[in-house]
Amino acid sequence: MGLPIKPDFNSSPSTVMHIDLNSCFATIEQQANPFLRDKPIVVAAYDTPNGCIVAPSVQAKKLGIKVGMRVKDARLLCPDLIVLSPDPDKYRAVHLSLKKILSTYTPTVSPKSIDEFVLDFTGTPGLQRGLMIISQEIKSRIKKEVGDYLTVSIGLGPNRFLAKTASNLHKPNGLDEINKDNYLEIYKGLTLTDLNGIAHQNAIRLNTVGIYTVLDFFRADLRTLRMAFRSVLGYYWFVRLRGWEVDDVEWGVKSFGHSYSLPKFLTKPEDLAPLLSKLVEKVGFRLRGAGFQARGVHLGLLFRDNEYWHRGLSLDQPIFQSQDIYRVAYRLLYRSPYHLPVRNMAVSCFNLSPKTILQLGLFEDRLKKESLVKAIDDINHRWGNFVITPATMVNTNDVICDRISFGR
Amino acid sequence: MIQKISAPISVDLLYDHRKHTVVPRQIFWDGKNLRVDQVGLHHTFREGRTLFHIFSVVSQGLSFRLRLNTDSLFWTLEELSDGLAN
Repeated sequence: MGLPIKPDFNSSPSTVMHIDLNSCFATIEQQANPFLRDKPIVVAAYDTPNGCIVAPSVQAKKLGIKVGMRVKDARLLCPDLIVLSPDPDKYRAVHLSLKKILSTYTPTVSPKSIDEFVLDFTGTPGLQRGLMIISQEIKSRIKKEVGDYLTVSIGLGPNRFLAKTASNLHKPNGLDEINKDNYLEIYKGLTLTDLNGIAHQNAIRLNTVGIYTVLDFFRADLRTLRMAFRSVLGYYWFVRLRGWEVDDVEWGVKSFGHSYSLPKFLTKPEDLAPLLSKLVEKVGFRLRGAGFQARGVHLGLLFRDNEYWHRGLSLDQPIFQSQDIYRVAYRLLYRSPYHLPVRNMAVSCFNLSPKTILQLGLFEDRLKKESLVKAIDDINHRWGNFVITPATMVNTNDVICDRISFGR
Repeated sequence: MIQKISAPISVDLLYDHRKHTVVPRQIFWDGKNLRVDQVGLHHTFREGRTLFHIFSVVSQGLSFRLRLNTDSLFWTLEELSDGLAN
């Protein structure tokens, strides 16, 4: 692949701003309840000893508590740890408030996750004011208009990657820029795994071609990087590290899925069926809400002994009704060769296509089915989720709670 | 310690048209009138078509989570917390 750009560092001024709400869920909880401020707290998927920590506060992080730890392990590090259950509505409300503020500075605000935003100032009057001044203003407006305990780390750069890297330099409450004047100095202070997108395996790949530091990575020629990654990724990294944009890409939705960690391990398919039904209802509701139908269903089961089994099934006809998805998912569940206690179950739909034109079936009235599903969805939308549910979902009222995913 | 509660509660709410603010000023709980010292966070969510407002407020060394149902205009105390570990 030829290089469409010169291999020099991009000398344009920074136009991209990356904003990261520090310790998002935990900080929002500390904002809501001032008695939790400056204390080690965590938000965990469940507040039971085996619950997985999804967000430690800044103070908890200082004690060595990390995302993914079990509550019981974190309590060994901090016996007085305060453990809270997630409150997704609260986090979504803060996310929307932040987005509202950010949208007053540029029309190009892209939420990357519940706690991250990328702002592109290219061609906006904001560039004339200076992104440093705007960053300071955003920080003070968040404190004034959303919550005085909320802090964000802001990174500025000529591309998305460098802006994100800059936002990670000082946490919490940082404000940094990586540009043509300081990139070498900053690269010198980073390790390979500090770079977003370089985890352990990619670091090993780079090591095999003699790249051990970020400066080595930056100075490596394109041929070496292609050898390391054996794909177009080598070229992307070559360009990215020089401040040129390669990450301004919107990836389409590929699948809709939900998973559930069972508090009580179940073995028999008939015992798992109500939970499967509820997972499928959630998947189906989101699938249809986004205007899609699917030609494939996937089921994943994690057993008590950490064995994992999964299977997908591609279909001739696209499906959109939860009942149809359930039928396929249950067939997959029955096919599982293991009859061990299940600790986690995941269902997803793939091979998506827009649900615009329905292929009429010979043996069933698909239009009638669509009208029925739409009526049920409308009722559930108006009166709250799961007002009308299939009988297979009986006794699942209090399980499979609302969650916020880490991705987009 | 956080205690989940679901009980009706009286709330005195002030709307200021000049500042464009809506703030709970006082709550009546446990036989006492309590002045609201601080509003930690105000957020909203919907259950079906019904919009709920949640005010997380502080009074007398306790944190209260107050829910306003905008259909009925009734208030519910959902949670009490003193900020100590469970």
